[in-house]
Amino acid sequence: MIFNSLSFVYFIIPILFLYWYVFNKNKISQNILLLISSLFFYAFADWRFLFLLITSILLNYYLGLNIRNAKKEKIQKRFLYLGLIFNIGLLIYFKYFNFFYEGFVQLLNIFGGSSSYNTLTILIPLGISFFTFQTLGYLIDVYNEEIEPSNNILEFSVFVSYFPKILSGPIERASKMMPQLQEKRNLSYNIFVDGLRQILWGLFAKIVIAENCAVIVDPIFNNYENEAGVTLLIGALFYAVQLYADFSGYSNMAIGISKLFGIQLMRNFSTPFFSTNISDYWRKWHISLTTWMMDFVFTPLSFSLRSYKKKGLVISIVSTFILVGFWHGPNWTFIVYGLFHGLYFIPLVYSGKMNTSQVLSKGRNFPTLKELISMAALFLLIALTDVFFRSDNIIGAFEYIINIFKINNTISYNSEIISSGQLIKTTGILVFFFIIEWINKNKTHDFQIDSYNKYLRWSLYYLIFVLIINFSKSSQNFIYLKF
Amino acid sequence: MEINIIKEKINHVLISVLGHNNFEMHDELTANDVDGWDSLSHMIILTNIEETFNIKFKLRDLNKLKNMGSLVSVIQSKI
Repeated sequence: MIFNSLSFVYFIIPILFLYWYVFNKNKISQNILLLISSLFFYAFADWRFLFLLITSILLNYYLGLNIRNAKKEKIQKRFLYLGLIFNIGLLIYFKYFNFFYEGFVQLLNIFGGSSSYNTLTILIPLGISFFTFQTLGYLIDVYNEEIEPSNNILEFSVFVSYFPKILSGPIERASKMMPQLQEKRNLSYNIFVDGLRQILWGLFAKIVIAENCAVIVDPIFNNYENEAGVTLLIGALFYAVQLYADFSGYSNMAIGISKLFGIQLMRNFSTPFFSTNISDYWRKWHISLTTWMMDFVFTPLSFSLRSYKKKGLVISIVSTFILVGFWHGPNWTFIVYGLFHGLYFIPLVYSGKMNTSQVLSKGRNFPTLKELISMAALFLLIALTDVFFRSDNIIGAFEYIINIFKINNTISYNSEIISSGQLIKTTGILVFFFIIEWINKNKTHDFQIDSYNKYLRWSLYYLIFVLIINFSKSSQNFIYLKF
Repeated sequence: MEINIIKEKINHVLISVLGHNNFEMHDELTANDVDGWDSLSHMIILTNIEETFNIKFKLRDLNKLKNMGSLVSVIQSKI
């Protein structure tokens, strides 16, 4: 049941009605309804793993309390390690088992073995990368005395299983989300309408922007060996936009849907392409994952390597980004993707520019030429690196990128692969999309237009509606649902 | 060691790492208030503080460092 499906609309409307008009007496009844709906939502997606989700909730709840109740640090640590083993173990077993198993057998064969291997058919529970990271963060925060553990199983269960975010994030933090579940939510017209706006923008990004980019991108990537450099470049650039529109669109819908229930989820994207260096970009891209990795991987790692000064920083940052890449899935393409992003930080660390966060076109409506050039160069670098994200294997990705820059390429431009009508149409809609994003870049989300006058607001709704009617494509799945 | 002396030494570290002195030392000062004091420069600052005071921080101390006041008291507890 993805957000842009009719079955989701049938699911959410009665729940919203019950939430605000029947179960609205107190926080307990609201939380009960949210829990039942969330478990139903998860079971609807894949009932076989409902038991796993419930086990994870109960065990993490119990461990959180035990970490806090233990008197000695040694015992606390023991409960923490148990939690780490359980959560990381789940993730490794379901997501990475075959990857490590294959690697292990191949390694044996290098040293003279001749084993063959049959990989196991393991179904991956939906959302596992997202909810295990959330419970991991919870336990570490409890251990570090950053938060008090939850002593209310109902609230904790909603925190883990809350349906707007269980399948694809944002990866929530207990410190931000739990307090909201500990109070009764009241219906606010402004928040509700703001949520609807954010859903509309997310829907538009997904079914118009991402899907139209996909029409250009897919044939190019599927046939990259036979395409000219310029075609491959176009494919890479549009894929970068597709990936962004797909996942930021999903996140905006998730956050918007949650607002309808009076619960604020964390921001996941903050117009990342309007950045002038790689560190700015990562501050704005998949924020819930990046901040998680910063807090729980980068900080401890750079802390333990602090005596190595800048070298320690570089090792920490590159390792963190390799893990960021690997989080997406058991494929070397993601590892290389992360590795490259980590390496891009090195010049910043050594030039000391790491520390300066740029405010783009401060006090002005337009970027300066210098800012524009930096943004374009950064976008090109990101688009080229995204080729790894999209490709099936690293060799294919390298070939793709090399073919872009090959000067004496014998392959001539094949005008049939992209229809020029599709290219012009998509570029036109993209201009509109990015103008709105630019205007709202300092707002709390990409389509926060409550300060606009009524006529302008309704003209925008109407325009987006017309664009959706005329240009939306029947949606494939969301890219991030498989992670 | 007197609090003022500790603060004076921290001030020196900050200026040498960040390369500017556009901040005022007070107990409520946080990293967010100081230009350039982010997660990366934070580690360099901590290392320099460790060397200056000849102390060692623990990972758990890190989470207790909410502002300048808490930094000073963590340092005080270690010297």
